[in-house]
Amino acid sequence: MGCGIGKSELRLKKCDKAIRAALLIQRWYRQYVARLEMRRRCTWNIFQSIEYAGEQDQIKLYNFFRFLMDHFTPASSERNLISHIFRKNEICRDTEWERYFCYKSIEVSASCTGPHLTFPMTFSGVSKLVEAFKHKQQLHARYVLQLLGETWRLLRILPNISHISACHSKPITICGDLHGHLEDLLLIFYKNGLPSCEKPYVFNGDFVDRGKNSLEILLILFGFLLVYPNHVHLNRGNHEDHIVNLRYGFTKEVLGKYRVHGKTVLKLLQKIFSWLPLATVIDSRVLIVHGGISDTTDLDVIARVDRHKYVSALRPPEAHTLNSRSRETGAPAAGRRRVCSLTYQDSPRARMHQLPRRSLHDAPAASQPNWSVEEELKRRRRLAGFDQTYGPLKTPDSVCESESGGTTGKDVDEWKQIVDVLWSDPMPQNGCIPNEVRGGGCYWGPDVTEEVLARHELQLLIRSHECKQDGYEFCHNRRVLTIFSASNYYEVGSNRGAYIRMGPDLVPHIIQYQASRTCRELTLRQSVGWTERSALRALREKLFVHKSDLISAFREFDPDNSGLISLMHWAGATERILNLGLPWRVLRPQLVSSTERGMVDYQQWIRELSITEPKLEISDNSIMETMYKNHSNLETIFRIIDTDNSGLISFQEFCQTWKLLSSHLKTEISDKAIADLARSIDFNKDGSIDINEFMEAFRLVDVSAHTAGPGRGAGAADLLHAGQPGQFGCDLFP
Amino acid sequence: MAEFTPDQIEDFKEAFGLFDRVGDSQVAYNQVADIMRALGQNPTNKAVNKVLGDPSADDLANKRVNFDGFLPMLKEIEAQPKGTVDDYVEGLRVFDKEGNGTVMGAELRIVLATLGEKMTEAEIEALMSGQEDENGTVHYEAFVKHILSV
Repeated sequence: MGCGIGKSELRLKKCDKAIRAALLIQRWYRQYVARLEMRRRCTWNIFQSIEYAGEQDQIKLYNFFRFLMDHFTPASSERNLISHIFRKNEICRDTEWERYFCYKSIEVSASCTGPHLTFPMTFSGVSKLVEAFKHKQQLHARYVLQLLGETWRLLRILPNISHISACHSKPITICGDLHGHLEDLLLIFYKNGLPSCEKPYVFNGDFVDRGKNSLEILLILFGFLLVYPNHVHLNRGNHEDHIVNLRYGFTKEVLGKYRVHGKTVLKLLQKIFSWLPLATVIDSRVLIVHGGISDTTDLDVIARVDRHKYVSALRPPEAHTLNSRSRETGAPAAGRRRVCSLTYQDSPRARMHQLPRRSLHDAPAASQPNWSVEEELKRRRRLAGFDQTYGPLKTPDSVCESESGGTTGKDVDEWKQIVDVLWSDPMPQNGCIPNEVRGGGCYWGPDVTEEVLARHELQLLIRSHECKQDGYEFCHNRRVLTIFSASNYYEVGSNRGAYIRMGPDLVPHIIQYQASRTCRELTLRQSVGWTERSALRALREKLFVHKSDLISAFREFDPDNSGLISLMHWAGATERILNLGLPWRVLRPQLVSSTERGMVDYQQWIRELSITEPKLEISDNSIMETMYKNHSNLETIFRIIDTDNSGLISFQEFCQTWKLLSSHLKTEISDKAIADLARSIDFNKDGSIDINEFMEAFRLVDVSAHTAGPGRGAGAADLLHAGQPGQFGCDLFP
Repeated sequence: MAEFTPDQIEDFKEAFGLFDRVGDSQVAYNQVADIMRALGQNPTNKAVNKVLGDPSADDLANKRVNFDGFLPMLKEIEAQPKGTVDDYVEGLRVFDKEGNGTVMGAELRIVLATLGEKMTEAEIEALMSGQEDENGTVHYEAFVKHILSV
């Protein structure tokens, strides 16, 4: 399409027109792309905030239990419900445990359709296992226990840090979080080949939770580990932790698949998780850990710890709670969020962190044996002046105090090293601050990366722990590489997965992929739209369950009871209640159908959010709301109480659960309300309640959308449903 | 110059914050064009460079601007004429040799790659995917609706 210069005026005119046409199309195309990117980023923020808020919730719940443990008498029945998760870790009397985990008495019947394994494991045995799982078969409990037993024995002799070398013909493959996504692991094996002497692999933690094939992934990885112990390396992730598993679905998955032996399997896995190595180093130059580092990270210390002492990374040595130091710093969390909010820097939440911490240190130490839960808590709350969080017993700075049973500064230091390595996230700013969003570990900056890498003579840090749109992301001047291997993590089409291949030049080569045919065929716009609708649905559900609190907050800005508030107040109040650090103004067109002269009719908005149809009729609305708001907390408490992992709890345990929850939330739930609730539930003949049935009955069902469509696997902690396109508007901007 | 309402300015401010990847409440010069587009403008790169003061390649990569510096730039761009559906249709009619409401996809691709602010092959592919029929022709009124409907 040449433009002849000076040939004829008509030709020039046409050429000019062509250029202008081209410019117009190009301008508009670039706007299209920018708007899509904006929507994608918002969607991402929504998913990520909800995810991290859930993790924070879990830690708060755990801290609450610690508080109970430390303050209540041994006779207290509530304390007894949960005390078993704090049981001291016995020094390994391995022979006794081996007897407990013995598989030999378990018969495999002739009718068993799953694969049969022989030991010691061979390559063909594991391949058979992979094929079987591909065809959705299940491994018999006997073989599971046998395989896990062998794994446990092997892990016990492995060091905390694996040192490996990248040889010319055998580049190392490094994978990130898998989270029970078997299809992604199979895709990696398909593209890259199975692990072998010629094909060494490093798996960087978070094999379990959220996805529905966590156990299959573990069995495959352990199988390869047994066959190629020098060529397959596993790092522990923050989800290789039985406390976390209670909430995020792995416990449920195992108990569902193995009704008789599930409890034993879980117990053995507890030990295995604690024995997983903490880090891998390639050629003394590349460090691979699941979460990251902090300014105090010291590989020599990590190499020396008794790693199996830390069955759960959430459980510190005595007398400390997770992030107890964080509440002292008083720094607002707003700047650490994914969204750097320019409009909420003066939010009440930010201010709250600057309040002086009131210490329970001054309260009388001994608790009265005859006081009930409520009385004890009321007393403490009065003394503490209604403190927002349950703080540590002692002044947090007294690291060297050793009150109860042999806690030393060294123990705390070791514990912190482990938590930092499993839970930390990088941040763009310099420095190192507690990771308040997740509730564990740190946020560390580029200066810390430089310092820690230099100190250890390393050149690159590879970590996982955070989902990335493209499956990977460099930061800190390309000195830190995040690798994430679970594609479609938040939703079908939400992100790709990736893995790394690294040769002796130690240059990371990244391969990306996305499981599932359907989403690869979607255009960018379609997949952004799909994911966005799913995120908005999740967000609307969160808004809905908080409607009472939202209305109270809105009313504060509406003294004349006009039913209208300004956009600014709407955004501020919503953030204050939900505390997700989201760009509410940007999201507003998607959430609020109409505004009048810049004012939001909040009553109508709340009515519009009413999307659920409870499966059970309960007269008491507030208990319903508490239930929906605390869906995950409730489930976690149930599973903790269910010590024999039967999936059933008694009526009495049910009532006690509610008491525990209401203490944690500092709300009053009357006995009558609880009894009413219990009466509306189906009891089994022996007077017990099935946990799964109960949780299912109180799952939110969005009746306004069709529910056919890709959804998340079982065990999702959040109330996510994927729906059909077209229900709510497409445009972020009108 | 265009005037924005206080509510609009708050909206823009929040969106601006979404693009700050460093945490200093600023964005890089080379992000300014995309932020403006995300906020409903559709300037050419040339127009954006003009309001940025014709920065060098180095400036584009390294200089940063805060919201107070950004807002007047946005106002200037907002004041410039955008383009209506008809403009686009007219623009595409230039390539409609037979005057029948269609253009050859191949011709459009060459135009977009060689004229104006050239697009990359990947960008063109993303834009055109699914727009050509089995004869390789594009029905441009539908095409325009497609681009404008994001």
